[in-house]
Amino acid sequence: MFFPKAMTELELIVPAKDLLAVTRILSRYGVFHQTDSASYTGVATGSANTWQETASQYAALERRIQVILQTLSLDEGEPPAADSRHDAMIEVDKLREEVERIEEQVKSASERLNSEKKHLEQLESVLHQLEPVEDLEIDIATLRNSRYTYSMLGLIPAANIDRLQTSLARVPNVFLTLRSDSAKPVVWLAGPQSNADVLNRAAKSAYLDPLALPEGYEGTPAKIIDSLHKSIEQAKQKIEELQHTLTNFANEHGEELRDLLYQVHTSRVLSDAIVRYGQLKHTYVITGWVPVDDLPELSTRLKNASREILIETLPTSRYGHNQHVPVALFNNKYLKPFQMLVNTYSRPRYGELDPTLLMAITFPVLYGAMFGDLGQGLVLFVLGLLMHNKIFMKGMQSLGLLIAYCGFSAAVFGVLYGSVFGFEGEHFSHTFGFEFHPVWISPIEDTLPVLGIAIDVGIVLLVVGYLLAIFNQVRSREWAHLVFGHTGIVGFLLYLSFLGLLGMAVAALKLPIVPKIAVAISSLPLPFPVLALVFGLAIMFSEVLINLMEGHRPVIEAHGIGGFIMYLVQAFMDLFETLISQLSNTLSFVRVGAFAVAHGGVSMAIFALAGEEPGFKFWLTILLGNIFIIGFEGLIVGIQTMRLNYYEFLGKFFTGGGMRFDPLTITPAKEEG
Amino acid sequence: MSAGGVSGYAAISARVRAMYSSLLTGQDFLRLSEAPDFQSLIGLLKQTAYGPYLESLKDKDLTPRKVDLQIKGRLADSYNSVIHIAPEQTRPLLKQLYRYFEVGNLKAILRGIVTDPNWEHVREILFPMGSMSVLPAQAMVESGAIASAVELLNNTVYEEPLNFAMKRYSTEQNLFTLEVALDLFYWRQLWQYAKRLQGLDRDQALRLIGSLMDMNNMMWVIRYRVYHDLSEEELINYTLPFGFHVRDEDIRAIAAGVDIASVVERVYPGVSDVEAFLDEPRSGLPQLEIRLKRQVLQQCLAAFTGNPFHIGIPIAFLLLSDLEIQDLTVLIEAKSSKMPEEEFRLYLLRMETTKI
Repeated sequence: MFFPKAMTELELIVPAKDLLAVTRILSRYGVFHQTDSASYTGVATGSANTWQETASQYAALERRIQVILQTLSLDEGEPPAADSRHDAMIEVDKLREEVERIEEQVKSASERLNSEKKHLEQLESVLHQLEPVEDLEIDIATLRNSRYTYSMLGLIPAANIDRLQTSLARVPNVFLTLRSDSAKPVVWLAGPQSNADVLNRAAKSAYLDPLALPEGYEGTPAKIIDSLHKSIEQAKQKIEELQHTLTNFANEHGEELRDLLYQVHTSRVLSDAIVRYGQLKHTYVITGWVPVDDLPELSTRLKNASREILIETLPTSRYGHNQHVPVALFNNKYLKPFQMLVNTYSRPRYGELDPTLLMAITFPVLYGAMFGDLGQGLVLFVLGLLMHNKIFMKGMQSLGLLIAYCGFSAAVFGVLYGSVFGFEGEHFSHTFGFEFHPVWISPIEDTLPVLGIAIDVGIVLLVVGYLLAIFNQVRSREWAHLVFGHTGIVGFLLYLSFLGLLGMAVAALKLPIVPKIAVAISSLPLPFPVLALVFGLAIMFSEVLINLMEGHRPVIEAHGIGGFIMYLVQAFMDLFETLISQLSNTLSFVRVGAFAVAHGGVSMAIFALAGEEPGFKFWLTILLGNIFIIGFEGLIVGIQTMRLNYYEFLGKFFTGGGMRFDPLTITPAKEEG
Repeated sequence: MSAGGVSGYAAISARVRAMYSSLLTGQDFLRLSEAPDFQSLIGLLKQTAYGPYLESLKDKDLTPRKVDLQIKGRLADSYNSVIHIAPEQTRPLLKQLYRYFEVGNLKAILRGIVTDPNWEHVREILFPMGSMSVLPAQAMVESGAIASAVELLNNTVYEEPLNFAMKRYSTEQNLFTLEVALDLFYWRQLWQYAKRLQGLDRDQALRLIGSLMDMNNMMWVIRYRVYHDLSEEELINYTLPFGFHVRDEDIRAIAAGVDIASVVERVYPGVSDVEAFLDEPRSGLPQLEIRLKRQVLQQCLAAFTGNPFHIGIPIAFLLLSDLEIQDLTVLIEAKSSKMPEEEFRLYLLRMETTKI
């Protein structure tokens, strides 16, 4: 739950005769993440090439069937249930014969259809260009072959019109836009015949496509347009007949085609997998990863498929760097929205703590603390459930559960804050006739304590973040970073010393906002200024200390005295940045309290607008105000919560960058989270 | 700054800052450039944030081209991450910015069809865009003909610009016509998306996108004039009338035959030796391009100072990531071909400028 699934590396040595049976088991069970076996000792390369060719042939066939389906306006349909017919590799020649037989029948009708469509398109384009000059009583051929004037009628990309005019600024010309159609504007360009070459090059470079009359069309524009209308009608009729022929074919052969597609697809997936196997003399070597829990079942199935198979497992330690190990996360459907949030940030590395469960606690709690209101929280809760069940706003289904959790948390904090749809304290009892007191605290009345508590919450989360970072560094065995890193032991001790100093400052200056944890730390009998100085210096020179501990040389990457001074400046700036970020990270959580207070403030503003008398206007204003708060403030609080979790919390201990577990299957698995 | 701006950028700002800190530092670059050979360079790269992208490469696959392709995976991941968490109104711009690589892929596919229509070969040079790409790349290459390949782009954003360009291609049989149409389409769309933003987002986007556009526009007009011998009208039609620093008058002046060096030095006072670069265009123009790219790099670094709640920071981060990979590509090529340091240094963007 707290870590990605334990994985084991698997090496299979398979006799050539069992190759297909084993591949079918691996793809059918869907738990085997394949890796390239080409680097395995003793592997020959020739076999891969043979299978590569076969895989390419299947891939080409698959595309050909998809093209036929597309031509017949048929979809690919749902993948058939896994049975022996649909996970077998069929001979490529046999499949090719069937594809060619169907293709031949479809091809003739579809080619005639395409050619007829192109013809229609051409006729319509000519018509489109001639319609603006329909009233001209002049033969088009005369216009073109004028002795003194060069002219060109044609279509041009709308975006090029201004540029063409700009380019002809120094050339005598007449340029008219005859049809201001955004897709295909019709223009007429004319100028002296002596500039024909300049005008022609300019027009071509602006992609002006000159009018090309099909053969047999001549005379005045009106006469040509009349003939075009007749030809267009005939072309449309032919297209309809051909489409009818194809529809009949689709009805007759649709199922057969889909079946064929899946046979080819399966064969292609299996041969793609085999391409990545390594071939020894009489056997094949297959390497990859399997979740430890699925290994016994997979091994049994493999042994049933091949008696002589050799299965070797290489358990993988969760410690150290394991970036090459694929990461399979536990798919708990109730935690899916939080897994989505974590994956948006980054996928955990193998062996690294998966922060999904922590996120499932911190995200709703921080959201609820900022948006605490029983009524509005319950509205969000119900909306979230409706979205999750695709009853409302289907497009937001993936966020439904997250919104429901946040709504529930907001409702709980609403009880703690004593707030229902913005009604609090006396306002509540005055309107509804009974009391509803805060169980814990009222942000609007106890503003400063709320802000102090928010900082304390931040301190707790940051301390947890530091401890988790230390835990992760122990697991990844980065000892030098564990001791001297910014999120290691020294970084953590510096943070505690910093909190001690902060507590002392708060007490000495009698600041109104009191983070109690910082004050409590400052009361410990420790010399915080000295500790802060020592740990600060350790952080400042952490690069040197880490290099010394890890044996990296040179210890300081600096050349000469200038380089050393630069290093000192950089080291000081590094310390400065660390302190600033510790301060800003801590104070960043003030926003949790501030939003809780602001929530009450916005409600008060709405009541001010609603007035005193609880009539229609009062309730309408309250209704609209609450819709506004739920929509607008709800969204802003969501973004703030995400920021706090990503930047202040996850950033402390979570590295990510893991490789996705992508098991071999005939039908690809859905994306987790 | 509105509350919406702050709240809208809280998450992305945090995430981008975190990703920004994982870009290579000046010291990292120094270490990489001092690697004695290609293998050592890869060893050092594996210790950086590019490590996970190189893990899957076996020793026998460690060719410069494959390594280059793998490290680009990181840029693709950065784009996907940033687009995923960017405020809704800025996503069209970011997606269009990312489309730069798709346009590059499209050009590579078209060139592949003309020179070597083998999917395995073409695949090796395509930027790994994943599901964000609308190109049916393999089907295009296997179609074996430009016209059929372009037809496969119907119902994509490329249909309209290529439709017009294909008319010219069918008579001229020159990919230049298609490539220019794609470039102009890409940059015009990008500019439009930037202009649709509001307030600080708009200012920052126009500044960064405009700087990038300035560099491209300037290099286009210079190259077209120096190498292609195009007419003034053609030069104007093949360039863009907008940008951040470069005005249309500058482009038109170069198109009209004015001394290029004087225009470049006026627009970019910090760029010197332009005259010398133009005297030897084969080696000089790439150098000039490097200088102009460094100006873009400076603009990107500047975006990280001041108010952090705007789209400039994600854009600057993505551009810096791209420029970083361009530098790494130089190092990879240089180390694999055993080029001396004094030669490849000239092509690095980061060696003589402020370190991140």
